[in-house]
Formats: sequence, C-alpha cells, structure tokens
Amino acid sequence: MGFFVLVFRMVEPLKIGILYSTTGPYGSMGRDARDGAEFAISEFAAEHDLALEPVFYDPHADLSAYLEGARHLLRAGCRHIVGTITSAARKEVIPLVEKHDGLLWYMCPYEGFEANENVIYVGGCPNQHLLPLFEHLIPRYGARPYLVGANYVWGWEMNRLARELITHAGGEVLGERYLPLEETAVERIVADIGQRQPSFILNNLIGPSSYAFLAAIRELGSRNAAFLPENCPVVSCDLMECELDDIPGGAVGQLCAASYFDSLPTGDNFAFKRRVATRFGSHRRISSVFASAYTAVDLCLNAISAAGSDDPQAVRRQLYNGAWPTLFGSLGIDPETNHAALPFHLGRINAGNGFDVIASRPPLAADPYLTRRNRPAPKLRVVS
Amino acid sequence: MRETPNFIDATVTVLHREDGNTDRLVRQLKLLGLRPTLQWAPLTVPETADIVMVDADQGFDDLLPWKKDQAPCPVIALLASEAPGRIAWAIAHGAAAIIAKPVSASAVYPALVMAMSIHQERRQAQDHINHLEERVRLRPLVHGAVEKLMQARGIGEDEAYRILRQCAMHRRLPMEQIAAFILAGAEPLPEAS
Repeated sequence: MGFFVLVFRMVEPLKIGILYSTTGPYGSMGRDARDGAEFAISEFAAEHDLALEPVFYDPHADLSAYLEGARHLLRAGCRHIVGTITSAARKEVIPLVEKHDGLLWYMCPYEGFEANENVIYVGGCPNQHLLPLFEHLIPRYGARPYLVGANYVWGWEMNRLARELITHAGGEVLGERYLPLEETAVERIVADIGQRQPSFILNNLIGPSSYAFLAAIRELGSRNAAFLPENCPVVSCDLMECELDDIPGGAVGQLCAASYFDSLPTGDNFAFKRRVATRFGSHRRISSVFASAYTAVDLCLNAISAAGSDDPQAVRRQLYNGAWPTLFGSLGIDPETNHAALPFHLGRINAGNGFDVIASRPPLAADPYLTRRNRPAPKLRVVS
Repeated sequence: MRETPNFIDATVTVLHREDGNTDRLVRQLKLLGLRPTLQWAPLTVPETADIVMVDADQGFDDLLPWKKDQAPCPVIALLASEAPGRIAWAIAHGAAAIIAKPVSASAVYPALVMAMSIHQERRQAQDHINHLEERVRLRPLVHGAVEKLMQARGIGEDEAYRILRQCAMHRRLPMEQIAAFILAGAEPLPEAS
C-alpha cells in the first residue's frame, strides 16, 4: 500500500473514466450512476489520501457517441471505465476497451448471454433477477402473465426468457407487446390488458414509457379492482427510487426486483445513507444504480489498491482473490464469468415513493448463459 | 427461439494448434458448459465429438474424415484469412458457422447456436430428400398397378389412380406398397367405392 501511494503521488493522479448519459430516456439513471461513481472516488481519495481524478464523458444518449466517449477516456489515460446503462451502449464500447486491454465496469441489470474478459459485471443477469422473481410471483399470482417491453434487446430477451419460464411452469403468456424508447402512447396495450385479465404484468419498459404505463395501470386499477397491485401487480427489474417521482400519480404497491434498495435495514446501508446525506442532502433517496455505480468503483479502487497498480490484468487477479466487503455485503467475482454474486431483493413501492423490501435471497452466483440449470421447470411450480 | 440453447456436457473437438486463440476459445467453451479437447491431428470418425471446430486457415483435407454433406456433427470454422480458397475449404468440409480470428469470446455462443441449428436443418432436409427419392424410385410400381387396374376393370387412368389412392389411404399404407402388393398378386384388386 505504501508503495502504491508513493507511485501514484509522484506521477499523475490515477484516472477513472465515467461514461454515462445524463439526458435522454434513461437520463435520471445516468445522473444517479454518475453521482454514485463520483461519490465513491471522492470518498476513497479522502480516506486514503490519494490523488484520484474522475474523467467524465456524457454521450447524451446518442449511441454512436459512446464509442467516441470510450476513446476519449482511454486516451486521457483511464484504464478503468465505469459506465453504460443499456446493452447497446455496452456493446458499442467493448471492442475498444478490449483493444486497449482496459476494464469496463458495468453495473446495471441486463439480459445475460455475455462474459467478456474485459468487463466486470456488477449488475445482474436473469438468474439473479428474473428467475427468482418468477419463483416468487408464480405461486402467489399464477402463471398467466402479460409481458410488455421496450423495443430493443433488453425487452425482447427478458420477455423471451419469461415466456420460456412460463411454458415450463405450465402457464400461458396472455400477451406480449413492445413500445419504442420514449413512446408514451400506452392506451392500446392497457386496453388489451384490461380485457385479458393476466395474473401479473412483467414490465420491461424503460424511462418515460414505463412511467406512462404504470400511471395508466393505476387508472385501470381505480376502475377495476382486479388490476389493483395486490391482485395483478406490475413487476419490473429496472425501476428505481430516482424514477418514482416521475410517475404521474405514483405507482404505490407495484413491485421491483433489485440487488439494492435505499430501505435495506443493514448497518452498512445506514452508515452509507448518512454519508450520502452529508454530501447530497438528506432528501436524496439512493437508487440501485447509484449504489451499484458506487459499489463498482469502490471495488475497482480497492482492487487497484491491493494490486498496487491499475494494470487491468493485475486488478483482475486481485479481484478474483476472495470476497470484498461492499455496500451489497460480501461480494465475490467469478473468474470464469467476471460476474458478481449478488443478493436478490423484491421491493414494493410505498406511499413515500420508496421501496419496502418484501422478500430477499442471499447472494446468487451469476449464470449469464444459463448453463447451470438444465431446465427451469423443477424450481417453478404453480401452487395457487 | 423458444428454448434457450444449452450445450451442457456436449463434447467439442478443436482441431487447431494451441495458441492465444485456442486459450480464449477453450475458456469460453468451458464457461458455456461444453467439454473441449484440443488436437492438431486428423480426426477419425469413431472419436467424433458432438461438435467439431477446425482451423480453416491451416486445415488440410485429411484433417476431417468427411465431405460437406456427410458431416456427422455441426462443424465450425476458425478463420482469420479472407481468401476464397480457405472459405471454400471450410464449406467443403461442412462448416455451418465461422468464428473469426482473433477469437473474441462473444463470437463463440452465437456460432454454436447457428451451427447446431443449420446442422439440424441439413439433416432434416436430407431425410426428406431420401424419403422423396425412395418414392420416385418406386414410382414404376404405382404406374404398373394403375395399368393392371385399368385393364382388369376397363376404366381410365384417372379412375384407376383414384382407386389405388383410396385403397392406400384406407389401409394407411404408402401407395407404393399397395402397388407392389397388387403387382405381386398378393392382394385382390381393390374395388371402386
């Protein structure tokens, strides 16, 4: 450690790239992620008396600007980049990060089917969010869901998997509809849902589409009690605290799966919230992207520190070497998949626009290609 | 794609000299649940794996013991060259997908899914062709039976064919088989119904 401090003090500050869009359909997530990453850097620098420099690039939701952003950050001397929200953006920057043998720290839940040596995955893949979510929902609400999604790979692949799970559970998908990003005309989908009476609704919409959809379902519930959240919940895998205020009329009672909620009653989380409040004010509710970006950067800096260098290969070797104390609890990275083992929490939106945690599971190892199960069927059974 | 393609415990023989490409390839194959073996020596049929990957840059004819339409398993070409001759070599040995070199981990799973699906499709098409060829081969029997019926009953060709077909449907046998029975005299001539 002493050597490390010396090296980085004498030469340039250690630079960490931060690549998020703070505008566009997932701008609120990007802003939270940027803040979480930046907060981790400033905390680590203060705590270890280190010269650390975050280097920001904002692609403003323009997909082609991500590659330029990654190039800018790598040229600026960042060997570690935390960033991208969507899979499309991640896929844009990976080839360049690979070419420069850097490390991309990706911290959003995604649809799986990827395991790149130059990416550390601190989000979750479907066996860490969708599978446990369905194992929770099917026995309680039934196996006749309606699937909605954003018209790109996240929505398609999550719904494809959902359909597979439902088929194996002997259920039936009552409908599957997609909306372009930022499309808020949800009336036809909601009318169709009103006629079909599904047992629950899987919502893979993002941003404004998702907010409009949740608001329309609340309306539907006020006219027909069958669509109140306690009877037919809308469940998401990517809805966050920072978005709830954007839903017209709110979405109290609806469900969301995540590896972190602001309301988690752990000592580490209470302490974290106090530190965030000191910096950002006590009104700030911490979203899972804020917490995930913080955790990714915190993990990155600790591994750099342990390796005594920001050389990505050395950092990776350190990273695989046991479990790390993080905001998510003790966290290990699987050397085969580069994915973090993550806890599963199910949150229910409360009247204060936060989440009440109603179910949890200890950390689950990631299985990005779903190879560790032969069939999902044995675990999923229709009980009700 | 309704079912998530799964390669758990499938064996894969990688015909390639060991290098950085094969390191990355083998790592990814293991991650996907396959059981890879690496060799740079001709493959003999009895030891054929579930899937074969072959270096199409260096590949020579004796490396694989089959020609295009006889590959007993999905074949994937590992290729850096863009030379038409090397691509043709890969096609000639039944390759149904290509993984470009240098191998990137993200190319492996799609190539496996693609090669598996195309291999299955080819096999189904071949089965179908075999079935149709058999029917064409037996067509003279049908013709003979129709003629026999025409003469015996004094009816036209269309009517004779209709009777034969109806008989086959009734007995749930291929027309060719009924025709063979009739010609062999092992079957009373069917009546029009």
